[in-house]
Amino acid sequence: MNKIAKLFVTFISAITLALVSFTSSFAKVEGEYIVLGSAISLTGKYSSNGVHTQNGYNMAVDRINKMGGVEVQGKKYKFEIIYYDDESNPKRAAQLAERLIKQDGVHYMLGPYSSGLTKAIAPVTEKYKIPMVEANGASRSLFTKGYKYLFAVLSPANQYLEVAIDLAVEKNGGKGVKIAQAFEQDAFSQDVRLGILDAAKRTGSEIIIDDKLPKELNDMAATLAKVKAVKPDVLVVSGHTKGALTAIRQISEMKVDVPMLAMTHCDAAKLSKQHGKKSEFALCASQWHKNLSYKDKFFGSGKKYAKDFQKEFGYDPPYQSAESSAALLVFKDAFERANSFDRDAVRDALVDTEMQTFYGNIKFGPGGQNVAKPMILFQVRCKGDDCENRVVAPTKWASDKFYHPIPKWSERS
Amino acid sequence: MNKVKQKDLILYSGLIILGLAAPYLFSAFKVQLTYLCVLIVLAMTWNLQGGEMGYNTFGNILFYGLGMYLTASVQVGMFFPLAEWTESGGEKTFVHTTAQYFQGIGVGLLVSAIIPAIIAGAIGYAILGLRGHYFAICTLGLGIAAGEIAGGIEIIGAGQGFTTPPFPAEIVDTEARGKFFYFLSFALLIGTFVFVKYIYGSRFRLILNAIRDNEDKAEAMGIQTMKYKIVGWMCSAFFCGLAGGIMGGLIGYIDSTDVAFDGREMGVFMVLMAILGGKGTLWGPVIGATLFHFFKEGLWTLILGWQYVALGVLIVVIVVYFPEGLMGWLREKYPERFGEVIDEKDRKAQVELK
Repeated sequence: MNKIAKLFVTFISAITLALVSFTSSFAKVEGEYIVLGSAISLTGKYSSNGVHTQNGYNMAVDRINKMGGVEVQGKKYKFEIIYYDDESNPKRAAQLAERLIKQDGVHYMLGPYSSGLTKAIAPVTEKYKIPMVEANGASRSLFTKGYKYLFAVLSPANQYLEVAIDLAVEKNGGKGVKIAQAFEQDAFSQDVRLGILDAAKRTGSEIIIDDKLPKELNDMAATLAKVKAVKPDVLVVSGHTKGALTAIRQISEMKVDVPMLAMTHCDAAKLSKQHGKKSEFALCASQWHKNLSYKDKFFGSGKKYAKDFQKEFGYDPPYQSAESSAALLVFKDAFERANSFDRDAVRDALVDTEMQTFYGNIKFGPGGQNVAKPMILFQVRCKGDDCENRVVAPTKWASDKFYHPIPKWSERS
Repeated sequence: MNKVKQKDLILYSGLIILGLAAPYLFSAFKVQLTYLCVLIVLAMTWNLQGGEMGYNTFGNILFYGLGMYLTASVQVGMFFPLAEWTESGGEKTFVHTTAQYFQGIGVGLLVSAIIPAIIAGAIGYAILGLRGHYFAICTLGLGIAAGEIAGGIEIIGAGQGFTTPPFPAEIVDTEARGKFFYFLSFALLIGTFVFVKYIYGSRFRLILNAIRDNEDKAEAMGIQTMKYKIVGWMCSAFFCGLAGGIMGGLIGYIDSTDVAFDGREMGVFMVLMAILGGKGTLWGPVIGATLFHFFKEGLWTLILGWQYVALGVLIVVIVVYFPEGLMGWLREKYPERFGEVIDEKDRKAQVELK
């Protein structure tokens, strides 16, 4: 026994030594760099959107640094981001937030991807009074917890598809419609569902199918079989990127005819590229579209942003990238107005944010959500085999008319 | 014999002092240290089944997740309507006072120890008749099923997840929360260790070993194997539930499949850690969990995107080169260092007998 004991003591002391040598604390501001921290899903079920988010962050960091950086008290600083992979797991995300703050000495955080992970990180940043500007946590419950250091540049999730129901009712001559819906079991999609429930109540619509989809989403045939049988007016599906891809794949395979199909995450899933004509007429909620006419001095217009993004990363930016880039513009603005690196000064400056970016207007409500920017809806439309997303609502931004109802599969070529 | 005990005493008091001092020495690492304590507890309790009893269970994650939900539910439900707390969208804000928070978590932990133990008894009665890989597969299903079921129960947040009560705002010290959870988990670790060590010195362990080595013979010798198997599993569930309860409070957000019934990660990790250290030994799971945690925390961020590949390689290396775990490997290489002098005497005695 004593031999094992000795071994164990040696082991423990080795670990202690290792631990001590690991404790290298970055400062919040190191030399000419302002260090931001972020846990991002580089692996796991959110990995594709995690990468969109990271690309958005990196794009903005490069641009801001190239254009002179952040000026605080007469000195120019550059942004730098420390990334960790949260593996799409809330438990890991909370742990990494703690690590960023305590071990890497990060004083300003950028959000992770998805509402669930933001929910896991927010209590940590709140505890240490670390301002976090997040771009990908839309769940309404994030903004009702009284968090003081959480700022979201996006509109809350329950607003995503409410407009779609209004549209359907309008097309139905103002009468309530029959809604079939299927949502992934996660914080974001469940919030989208709440929005639909509200809209249904408001418009006197009836929900005839209300299904839950599993998290590792790759089959929803059961729901679609029901849809085929009961013929609703609208089918609503939300389940991040995989949900959008699965829905289109199986709807086209099973030839499900439904007059209106409303979804989320179509652009992140690159639906119009991956499924081409099969995805035509899908109606999608989006935080942003490149054709909107917002402007700023860093990225110019949305179109310019999309072009630069395409050049840098080789694909059209989904709104997840755009809103992530906007988060850094917000931070830059707040640092300069606070003219200080004091966390509370920066936090107070964030509260007073009122600005326009290429992504949209940004002004934070009392809960931290962005109240200055509406959601938009676009519809996938094709010319020959070339499909693209056209904005159809709200009318102010619309570049195309909303096509309704979706033609039957037997009539589609 | 006394001399050895004295040395043990020095070792244990040294470790306890180190454990108590750790959150002050490595203030920035408190959360990782808390995780370490919980991981060790999970590995040690898994070892009771997988190592001592020879029943490879993937189901212990069920008790861990149950503990997590139970602690949080009790902590909220004692003072506020649980349904409104977890209601999707959560329009209302409830705030625990300091006293409520600690009372809640105290009672919650108690419940999270007892109920999983009872459930382990009930499930054990039903499935501990299965042996070998049939048992393993059956328990694998338990965790997955629990995750899916929890994801559909509205009162505990369903797919939205369950935000556990935030640490009382009246405590201004930002370090207090970290310290509280660390000491809680450290106390649990000591409790578990003392308990497992006690089992190691008892007849109970011999019975478990007998079941592992030949269950039919054990039964033929008059041991009521079913009874002991169930009791063994209930003991594991007791500590797993507590570990889950503490983790729920620490993480602050419970998600049905990713945090609570996280069979894909925690469920596999606990098996891996016990095997890495050496199953069927007292110190194996402790060392395995510690090594694993350091490997994970130290290396994973350096190899972003490849960490699961590295984990796969690690599993292959363990299984191929250290099938008996580190302790088993060391024991084979340096048997005399493991106090196996008794074997030596035995051998001599046997030689003399001849």
